Amino acid sequence: MAAKPKIAVHKFSSCDGCQLAFLNMGEALITLSQRVDIIHFAEAGPVDETTPVDIAFVEGSIATSHDYQRIEQIRNNSRYLVSIGACATSGGIQALRNLADTEQWTAAIYAHPEHIHSLDKSTPIAQHVKVDYELWGCPISTKQLLTVVGSLLSGAQPVVEDDKLCMECKRQQKICVMVSKGEPCMGPVTRSGCGALCPAMGRACYACYGPAENTNANALFTRIEGLGLLNDETTRRFLFINSGAREFHDAGIEGNRKK
Amino acid sequence: MANKTININVPVLARVEGEGALELKISNQHIDELRLRIYEPPRYFEKFLEGRDYYDLPDTVARICGICPVAYQMSAIHAIDAIFDIKATGWIREMRRLMYCGEWLQSHSLHIHMLAVPDFLGFNNVIEMAAVYPGEVNRGLRLQSLGNDLISLLGARSVHPLGVRTGGFYKAPATAAAHELLQRLKIALADAVDLVKWTTALELPDDNQDFTSVALRHTEEYPLNEGRLVSDKGLDIGIAEYQQHFKESHIPHSTALHSLLDGKPYLVGPLARLNINHDKLPAETLALVEQLNIRFPSNNMFHSIIARAIEIHFVIIEAIRILENYQKPESAFIDAPVKAGVGYGCTEAPRGILWHRYELDNAGKITSAIIIPPTSQNQARIEEDIKVSLESLGLDKNEDVLRLHAEKVIRNYDPCISCATHFLKLDLQRAEVHVTQAASLDKKAIRRIKVIGIGSPFGEDKLGWDIVDLLIQDTSRIWNSDRELTFHILDRPGPLLLEHLKNTDKVILVDAIHNTRHTHNLIRIGIDQLDQAGTLISSHGLGIKESLLLAKTLGQLPETIILGIEASIDMTTQEMESCKEKLIETIKQELD
Repeated sequence: MAAKPKIAVHKFSSCDGCQLAFLNMGEALITLSQRVDIIHFAEAGPVDETTPVDIAFVEGSIATSHDYQRIEQIRNNSRYLVSIGACATSGGIQALRNLADTEQWTAAIYAHPEHIHSLDKSTPIAQHVKVDYELWGCPISTKQLLTVVGSLLSGAQPVVEDDKLCMECKRQQKICVMVSKGEPCMGPVTRSGCGALCPAMGRACYACYGPAENTNANALFTRIEGLGLLNDETTRRFLFINSGAREFHDAGIEGNRKK
Repeated sequence: MANKTININVPVLARVEGEGALELKISNQHIDELRLRIYEPPRYFEKFLEGRDYYDLPDTVARICGICPVAYQMSAIHAIDAIFDIKATGWIREMRRLMYCGEWLQSHSLHIHMLAVPDFLGFNNVIEMAAVYPGEVNRGLRLQSLGNDLISLLGARSVHPLGVRTGGFYKAPATAAAHELLQRLKIALADAVDLVKWTTALELPDDNQDFTSVALRHTEEYPLNEGRLVSDKGLDIGIAEYQQHFKESHIPHSTALHSLLDGKPYLVGPLARLNINHDKLPAETLALVEQLNIRFPSNNMFHSIIARAIEIHFVIIEAIRILENYQKPESAFIDAPVKAGVGYGCTEAPRGILWHRYELDNAGKITSAIIIPPTSQNQARIEEDIKVSLESLGLDKNEDVLRLHAEKVIRNYDPCISCATHFLKLDLQRAEVHVTQAASLDKKAIRRIKVIGIGSPFGEDKLGWDIVDLLIQDTSRIWNSDRELTFHILDRPGPLLLEHLKNTDKVILVDAIHNTRHTHNLIRIGIDQLDQAGTLISSHGLGIKESLLLAKTLGQLPETIILGIEASIDMTTQEMESCKEKLIETIKQELD
């Protein structure tokens, strides 16, 4: 019998929530562990960051100088590198610090700032090494993950969704919260894949899945301001979970400058 | 250890999941130094909350922790409700309890099966354990997924749920969905009973210690969202008085903060809750506890796993009670006008009390935020526990035994996610032998140290090369199994030095430093002094300093020490030899 494919799950700066897409698989996790060798997955137990693997999943953003070495080593040891979640794909919510003076913050928080070895920016994995596939979302879902794992294990190219959320929402025949309630919905510029959960709850999408393909974020900025939000409130719709994503960052900053 | 005590109103949030390490110094059967190091880089939540709108709060704080987002949402939302004078009663209050039951259920199940039990049954992890105990592992996965589905009932998804808002919920679940979960909960009750019995049958160490338990206490119920802060040593305060009794200080070895109650460590979490509130358990759970051969309060931290199982039983009973009366309300939230003020929230996260304080301005913008998670409150207690536990185990035990025991002790606290403890590296120093023996759980524990001699083949400039040559002949004396030590000789490397700094944890650069003053001092320059070292490094002035500063800017600089001898062209051979000896001794000290 041929050797089983090897996979690894690595964590950088994050909340651990995307790794739960594995741990919440339920019995599928046991099935997965029979089909592949899980070489490194600290949260579940196995710890071995150095053995070469077929697929490395990377959660979290690059936030310390030590992270540079680690991510390079992981890249060198992996056939496919898949970044999972908002932190790994856009720098995550903690990339909000990229817009501020981190040194000042550290000094304000810690009695011994000299012992805090943190970079002043939180950056996505693809800014540092080649990433084969990106799974956007805060958090990613087990479905997204199984789709990619399933495809790669059967030798097919995974299809990663990058449609606008509006498409998913319409397919589910949800009532548009922007049209019907005037909610500042980010759906028109946000990537699908979450299941259109917020509109289904009757609330505005807050863009936790990052930018969709070919967005017109500036136009949405104007539209949301038109709903009656203040300029800086509108800016914060774009600069939130994925403030490091170029489309959101630029629309948020430019829109804010406009005032 | 000098640690400055800082006032609690300095905004702090330091997470603990991620990498942790334990440093332990034992000499003559005595623990000289014990430090639980926490590395998780700060994520500055309290800072970037400033200036954001109150309505973003539940979605923001959820991101602090993927394992217990509901706890963060609940503490935050109770604080905001308090500012807006919203009194949640009836359906909203019950649904908040229900959602929290879901989180305890998934978090405790995950902890027991995936993180803790493998320790007690002798497996490295749950995947190995599943091969021998498939029934038990599947039971755990069923309970965990039931907990997730309870959260999703109100929040649409279990990680970073999105149903919670100020004053209640965005939308009430459909009656059919609530009814379906009720049926599953009733079936799961048998699983919970089996689980409690199973944890009681585990062979747990008998390790009684004197410590203070702290938890919420409510007059009528087992605490989740509301109550007074109570300890088993007489504390009884409202949550707004927290800062007058609990103080946090920043310990240099950790990005988490140590919390102390009136100057002493204390325990929060399932065992502390049960110690204080066992009389508030529902009758059915109490009856089950009566059958067991352990009694609460308990002073044995190893009973934490049983406490978690009992709480799983409790939340299933509680969720059944709530859902049996389920009816869709008129409105899923209470609307109230925005106003300025200060609000406090303190709820029982799976790992213990989670305390929040927020200040809002007139427009509902957050002007200040303080978040104190349970793990930072437990950290001082964990260190104390490890010390006492290891001493009673016997410090003469070999380091594998000491390490595993210390890991078990740490896991009792379920520090955020126990991946911190799975990464545990024991850096054990026994003073008698002056050797650092690092028992590495993983290869990452190996420190990669490079000694680089810099120079050119000419005259005294060859000093760096000579030193490295001498050291290579002498490696046996300085070799340790916990590190990978390599020696390099570089000829005026210039910016190429950057290549040699990669994949390295520590670099010792050896170089000659020219002077004309005929002094032959040994110079040691740490990387922090590099900026002021402008006139010192002249021998290869361009390359070294600029390259190092470049590496520093790029974030590629490992721990770096520059050792040099002031050398001059007219040194005698004897002077040169004595310089080399001095330098070699210093390098060895650095390597020790």
